[in-house]
Amino acid sequence: MLNRKNRLSYRRSWMLNSLVFLAPWVIGFLLFFATPLWNTIWYSFNTLGVGSDGKMTAEFVGIQNYVSLFTDVLTKDNTPVTRLLVEENLNILMNAPVILVFSLFLAIILNSNFKGRAAVRIIFFLPIILGLDIVKDMLTASSGDFVDVAAESFFGEDSPILQFLLVNTFLPEGVVNFLGEINNNIYNVISGCGVQTLIFLAGLQSINGSLYEVAKIEGATTYEIFWKITLPMLKDIMTFVLVYSFIDLFLASSIADEIYTFAFMKNSIGIGSALSVVYMINVLLDLVLMLFVFNKVVNLAGETKR
Amino acid sequence: MKLRDNYLTPSERLLKSSVGVVKGVLFGTLLVGLCFTILYPILKALPTVFNDLNDLGNPNVVWVPETLSVNSFKLAFRIAFGNGLSILQTLLYSIAIAFIQMMMSAMVGYVLGRNNSKIFSILTGLVIVAIMVPPQALLISQYLSLKNFDAFGLIPLLNGGETIDLVGNPLVLYILAFAGFGLRQNVFVFIFRQSFRGFPKELEEAALIDGCGFYRTYFQIAFPNAVPSMVTVLTLSFVWNYGDTFYTTYFDPTGPYLANTLSSMFQWANRDLIADFATALYGFSGNANYVLDAVKFAAVLIFLLPLLLLYFFMQKKLVENFERSGIVG
Repeated sequence: MLNRKNRLSYRRSWMLNSLVFLAPWVIGFLLFFATPLWNTIWYSFNTLGVGSDGKMTAEFVGIQNYVSLFTDVLTKDNTPVTRLLVEENLNILMNAPVILVFSLFLAIILNSNFKGRAAVRIIFFLPIILGLDIVKDMLTASSGDFVDVAAESFFGEDSPILQFLLVNTFLPEGVVNFLGEINNNIYNVISGCGVQTLIFLAGLQSINGSLYEVAKIEGATTYEIFWKITLPMLKDIMTFVLVYSFIDLFLASSIADEIYTFAFMKNSIGIGSALSVVYMINVLLDLVLMLFVFNKVVNLAGETKR
Repeated sequence: MKLRDNYLTPSERLLKSSVGVVKGVLFGTLLVGLCFTILYPILKALPTVFNDLNDLGNPNVVWVPETLSVNSFKLAFRIAFGNGLSILQTLLYSIAIAFIQMMMSAMVGYVLGRNNSKIFSILTGLVIVAIMVPPQALLISQYLSLKNFDAFGLIPLLNGGETIDLVGNPLVLYILAFAGFGLRQNVFVFIFRQSFRGFPKELEEAALIDGCGFYRTYFQIAFPNAVPSMVTVLTLSFVWNYGDTFYTTYFDPTGPYLANTLSSMFQWANRDLIADFATALYGFSGNANYVLDAVKFAAVLIFLLPLLLLYFFMQKKLVENFERSGIVG
């Protein structure tokens, strides 16, 4: 009886104390997340201005802001907003899986044993620092230089490697161009891989070594071990990495810039908010699509590679 | 040589070892290529910054400077760093923010990770939603609400009906971090949640039996056991806040943050200004683009120096902790 009462009171005090720990976050959530989220949605249905008393005025206009967002207004570079959205989406949907595969690849290299692993490890985690947007921007030369030109002619559209692939393999032109584009973009991909490699490495090291031993004793090849053990064990981590890289890419996209331009340069807070809402829905839709495809691919890979 | 190799014929042994050599060479090439790609921007910047300003753009000078000079660094320092105080201020700011973010997200992560009841699962879901909504989407209304900050009507009550303007006040960045909504803070909450989920229940129970309350269990048992996650979060938070331009540009535009200064100073539009500086100080004559690049690279190398030093001195510890942090749960 006493024991039972004690346990209940312990649980209750745990809950009460944990509320103290949670309080700042909950207040922050309401103040800096939920309220702004609600306001953004509300602003997007209004035209906002400054009244005679200096206070903000809002006039309800229904979906007018959304209509003009997709029909009349232009971005900074004088292109329609729809075009910006399509371009950014294509870019992100293409780059996220590449980053996922590439960071897994880097992590697997780091997880294997070879001479000079310590030095390679230092370099492979450098993108955490070199991948900062400001660093990436500032290390890009504004005058075309010798080495860039060489890289361009090697991997660019008319490069010998791509021509060779086009002529001598049965790969369709789209695939070859895609490969060429990734190749051109390789620095962006690598510099977006820092944290993801880290997460994958932690994941690889958390896989129980005896699983690999058993597989080896049973005569599995390295290839089979990868598809049958490593990949399934990493599935949750891959989902997390995918979401993370996705958000990372969206954070760096130029849509964010446009939101700022509309709201504060062109003084149309309503349209800026409408773009914000579109942007959020876009991120969530892309995420759902991506996770759906990802699950399909992983399940398929697990089933067919026997 | 492995034991079973003794049973191979000499020709088979030769084949095997040559396959090994080829594999090694391929793997080595791959590693060197990857490392080169990662280091390429730095390698490319180094000859440029140590070049004499007048040799920039000279097709005879690509990788090895003809005359070594540190004029680019001097110029970068004059233009962007002033007396060097802003480096110190930015470093202190990012360290302080990193600590606040780490402490606050560890507390939230602990509560969310140690309890499976429904309300905490819902809160975890909210953390994930907060990770997924990009902060730029909330920028407008966050900016407006910070401009007229009323904290659910509390501040007008205390301040005679007036709201306060937090934009431009450095305090706002600390408030955001304290309330759990600083730069990518919910990712940190998630990392801590995963790490505390793997924390053995027996330790907690032992602490309870020995008479520890909630706070003592946390501060003496659970928190000190989360060192790998702490190191990971502190490092990431420090690096990200040091290089961040989003929160600082919009919420404290007049602050001394280096990343802001650099990104506004070294724009394409300012290249003639920088070239004029170079002409006046070092007798530079030539294309303004080249001097812009050289000074820009020099500035970003100075900017990176604290991060690189920290990384190289701590890399062994850092990477070990990265690997052991409960990021995976």
